[in-house]
Amino acid sequence: MVKALREEVKRLFEEKKVDLVIGWGKGSLPMTATPIFINKAEDAERLIWDETCSNNLAVYLTKDKRQLVKTDQKIGIVVKGCDGRSLVLYAVENQIQRENLVIIGVPCAGVIDKKKVLKHIEGKEVLSASFEADRMTVEGRGFKTEIAKCDVLSDSCLNCNHPNAPVFDVFIGEPRKSDSVEDVYPDVEAFEKLDSEARWKTMVEAYSKCIRCYACRNVCPSCYCTECFVDQNDPQWIGKSPEITDTLIFHLGRNLHVAGRCVECGACERACPADIDLLKLNRKISKEILERFNFTAGLDINEKPALASFCENEKQDFIMG
Amino acid sequence: MIKIEKSNFGTFIQNLSADYSLFAPVGEGQQSAFREVKNAEQINTHIQITQNSPKTVFLPQTEVLFEFSGDDIQSEEKPAKPMFFWGVRSCDAKSLNLLDKVMGQSKQRPDDPAFQDPYWKARFDDAIILTLACNEPASTCFCNWTGGSPFSKDAGDLWAVETETAYLVEPLSEKGEAFVKGLSGYDTASEKDKQSIAKLKKQAESYLQPAVDAETLKEKLPQTWEDPLWDEVSAKCVNCSACAFICPTCYCFDIQDEGKKDKGKRIRTWDCCMFPIFTKEASGHNPRSLARERVRQRVMHKFRYFWEIYGESLCTGCGRCVRVCPVNLDIREVAKQLLEADSAA
Amino acid sequence: MKNTYIPIPMKVDKIVTEDPEKTLRTYDLNFVNKSDLEKFQYLPGQFCEMSLLGMGESPFGIASSPTEEGFLRFTINRTGLVTNEIHNLREGDAVGIRGPLGNWYPVEDFKGENVVIVGGGFAFTTLRSLLVYLLAHRDDYGEITMIYGARNPDLFIYKNELEAWLKRTDMKLHLTIDNAVDGWQHHVGFVPAVTEELAPSAEKAWVVVCGPPIMIKYTLPVIEKLKFPDERIITSLERRMKCGIGKCGRCNIGSQYVCIDGPVFSLAQLKTIPDAL
Repeated sequence: MVKALREEVKRLFEEKKVDLVIGWGKGSLPMTATPIFINKAEDAERLIWDETCSNNLAVYLTKDKRQLVKTDQKIGIVVKGCDGRSLVLYAVENQIQRENLVIIGVPCAGVIDKKKVLKHIEGKEVLSASFEADRMTVEGRGFKTEIAKCDVLSDSCLNCNHPNAPVFDVFIGEPRKSDSVEDVYPDVEAFEKLDSEARWKTMVEAYSKCIRCYACRNVCPSCYCTECFVDQNDPQWIGKSPEITDTLIFHLGRNLHVAGRCVECGACERACPADIDLLKLNRKISKEILERFNFTAGLDINEKPALASFCENEKQDFIMG
Repeated sequence: MIKIEKSNFGTFIQNLSADYSLFAPVGEGQQSAFREVKNAEQINTHIQITQNSPKTVFLPQTEVLFEFSGDDIQSEEKPAKPMFFWGVRSCDAKSLNLLDKVMGQSKQRPDDPAFQDPYWKARFDDAIILTLACNEPASTCFCNWTGGSPFSKDAGDLWAVETETAYLVEPLSEKGEAFVKGLSGYDTASEKDKQSIAKLKKQAESYLQPAVDAETLKEKLPQTWEDPLWDEVSAKCVNCSACAFICPTCYCFDIQDEGKKDKGKRIRTWDCCMFPIFTKEASGHNPRSLARERVRQRVMHKFRYFWEIYGESLCTGCGRCVRVCPVNLDIREVAKQLLEADSAA
Repeated sequence: MKNTYIPIPMKVDKIVTEDPEKTLRTYDLNFVNKSDLEKFQYLPGQFCEMSLLGMGESPFGIASSPTEEGFLRFTINRTGLVTNEIHNLREGDAVGIRGPLGNWYPVEDFKGENVVIVGGGFAFTTLRSLLVYLLAHRDDYGEITMIYGARNPDLFIYKNELEAWLKRTDMKLHLTIDNAVDGWQHHVGFVPAVTEELAPSAEKAWVVVCGPPIMIKYTLPVIEKLKFPDERIITSLERRMKCGIGKCGRCNIGSQYVCIDGPVFSLAQLKTIPDAL
């Protein structure tokens, strides 16, 4: 698979179809891939594709990262299902020039969440890790443990029906058959069962851990405003300190800004240095939008976002209470 | 050097917490930090290094500088009791000394108290730091790059080694001497204990990767200023502040007012040179508007600028940034790339 | 010991609106406590953080001279939140200041030498402080030449004083505006061009240049051409600052902190700092 990916990227460079390819390379730590930017055929050898490739690479086409992409430059980008959905979102929201992109799809069986692995081995340090179809082996000083992959997959991957990019120019290997999960959001059930007071308590508890580093926002492909409302200082909308009311405004504001646009890639949650369960609320909102509007973000390049369009036959019960 | 048997550790900690605000590693993994404890059971004694460094106690993420009501201004600098820090790794103990150079002292105005931070001084000057030797450095540790080592005695007031059955403690500073003198009923470490220290030290040092010489890097850095390599290394940075907020030596902060004109507070809160807004001026002009310039600033500040002022690097090799970076921008890799770069002088 | 973050209480004594657009206002502040006045020792070029409780702080160069006793003067351009709020102040209102902060123009080194002062726009504040200081110690210094430019005649600050200085025989003041207007009897043209035309001599002289970044950028080469050595070309940098005491890191450029190593630097110093200019 990796060999085919490298061959394909090499070919794209040789045939002058791309000037730059964004993909994943081997990271400096076990279980860690890192985004790489390659601009010549021979560097295709640095590309990898496996269950550690957890960053959503679409993020490098927007925000501050626009500076990476010069006008008229042809960009190749390696995408798993959720990265591909972000590109669809960008196309719908006029953030990219589709004709300048070469989308290279790879079939995804889910990425691992390192934090889950570390919890599994009670915080011990992993010095090496290897992967097989359904399990992984981690080794450190004085231990070697096998873990079922399903126990350490990112929450975003557990009930994913979109393992392949919805839109692509080339696909490496065979698109993965979707598991056709019927109940996509079993993880939000527990939260839904809480009454509003208990929900509030859960959120306050979770977000009090926030250190306002904005890693979640900055790795989020759907959060691409050139200047985020939390950064504006004239006027300044919210306080900068991790005071819980301000922190909640940041997170809940972000939840609402990405409502109907979140592709549930889980990048926010994996990036969080404070170990906050950031994805859950986004998924709860996605579930609402699916149920109300039968809409899932980032699947159809011709479909308007649910919250940016209006159909007469939509459920309107919320208006009347 | 005195010996605190592990069987007596509970009592030792109990006694300490009566006289001091006692801080020690608490919690696991990403939740671990130095927090105030009352007894030994609360302490995580097996942690390699806490996610949050002791910096968060001495220079908290947010603190009130003063509260005001009308023209009346009230401030509180001094903690109720002096603080005792148990179990600080040598990299973190050194970080506190580096921070003290900036916050507690002033290189430019050494004799003028107006240029010393009163909140930092009130906490740090009376605090006792016990540096606990690092028996098992992590693979992300690189204290040996910047003059540190797992068993370093360069920083802290007390130095301790954990053996199988005991903690062996010796003083490093006057404060430490006075503290040890005040203890009674403890044995002195035996020859055998000292041998086990030597053995543990050797083993700990063997876990570290070969060092890159920070001084060579410092010399090289000015030549790299215009190097396109900065584009390359900054390309994947997403400009969050995870690295800086988790760093034991990053100290940049913002000052803001909260509340209303007649009643409120002036606070300070960590800030970060990775944020574009950090240097954006009221006119809209931004001297460091590009990610390349900001990443370069952070690396230069750690490995060059601080050295120019204080004669050492502002990185103690704790490896926290390596672990938390969401895109695996590994400062060690950046340093190596810069050293290898064929930059024109 | 007094907490350095707590502002010194001041009262607004006098407000002068400098321009018809009312974007530039000069504030004379009096010390509320006599002891604070006695302790406040400063030199031209230093600045203060002006504090409005509940709104925040902003740094401003001190426009008064230590030779004018009893008050501090600041001229404030309305640009952001804090400056807007300052513009709402009335005479008698309370404000706070922290300072004096930063370094100063090397007035000791200037002694016995000629001094050329080149300024533009409202960055003229600390240059006024300098000029008033030099004139108060007139016998200590050689020739004093000042070139001061503004976009139009309305935008000069301290207009009454300019009139007085124009009349003085122990100094030379050259005023210039960008484009000619009726009744203007002084120079017309940008500061760099006028400086080049006047060509002040570099012999036994120092030059102090302050103004908007673009003016500095084009004036420095002119001054270098006049053969002023880099060590004798002095300027004052502006950066975002918060703490003012070398802690918060915001104004860091190279190994220098503008708030404590500066804001006054020689061109020789700036040339060793990457991207300072």
